[in-house]
Amino acid sequence: MLVKVLAFAGLREILGKERELEIREAATVAELLSGLASANAAFKEAAFDDSGDLRDYVLLMVNRKRIDPRQDLSRELHEGDELALFPPVAGG
Amino acid sequence: MIKITAEDISIDEMVKRAKSDDAGAIVTFLGSVRDDGIKRMQIEAFSEAALAELEAIREEAIERFSLKSVQVVHRTGSLLVGESIVAIVCSAGHREEAFAGCRYIIEELKKRAPIWKKEIGEKGERWVDGHERNL
Repeated sequence: MLVKVLAFAGLREILGKERELEIREAATVAELLSGLASANAAFKEAAFDDSGDLRDYVLLMVNRKRIDPRQDLSRELHEGDELALFPPVAGG
Repeated sequence: MIKITAEDISIDEMVKRAKSDDAGAIVTFLGSVRDDGIKRMQIEAFSEAALAELEAIREEAIERFSLKSVQVVHRTGSLLVGESIVAIVCSAGHREEAFAGCRYIIEELKKRAPIWKKEIGEKGERWVDGHERNL
């Protein structure tokens, strides 16, 4: 199935703004992030610490709603879902 | 009006829209690019999500401070020193509510709206309010 991945600010500079990814049915957010890290060493280094945990300044939205990286990485994704990755916000 | 735009902000137009017979006070906030030794600032937004967040903040502010109207316009793209980044215009029956509402909106916008700023200077560039990795 296809999902959309969006990235912003410094993470966009590493991943690109938008891409569609083919992932297995009901793959989790964690699996998708792990797949991105395997394919992109710069992203792995930026987003994950040495023990393989997502760094706390990587923020996530699924379908434009914030999810908690400490609790919701096991969330399953579905066809057409949109995952957004970004660092802490700084507008205004 | 809630807008995220690459075009310049017209605060006059916003104030005109805020005028109404029951609005005794209109407070405006204009955030601008400060010269911290930078050449320009690049502003990026997750526009769809930011608009939804700004709408939510607007509703909260109207409810909490009995505002008559709220408008927020945030720029994106490349801005020079002195150019406007964000404009907020609130109207209310009296000044206390208008000031408090405007303050609430800018503080919540900074905490919640998915928008990022990058300072670009002679010696390099950095994301604002970053963290040790400066993503």
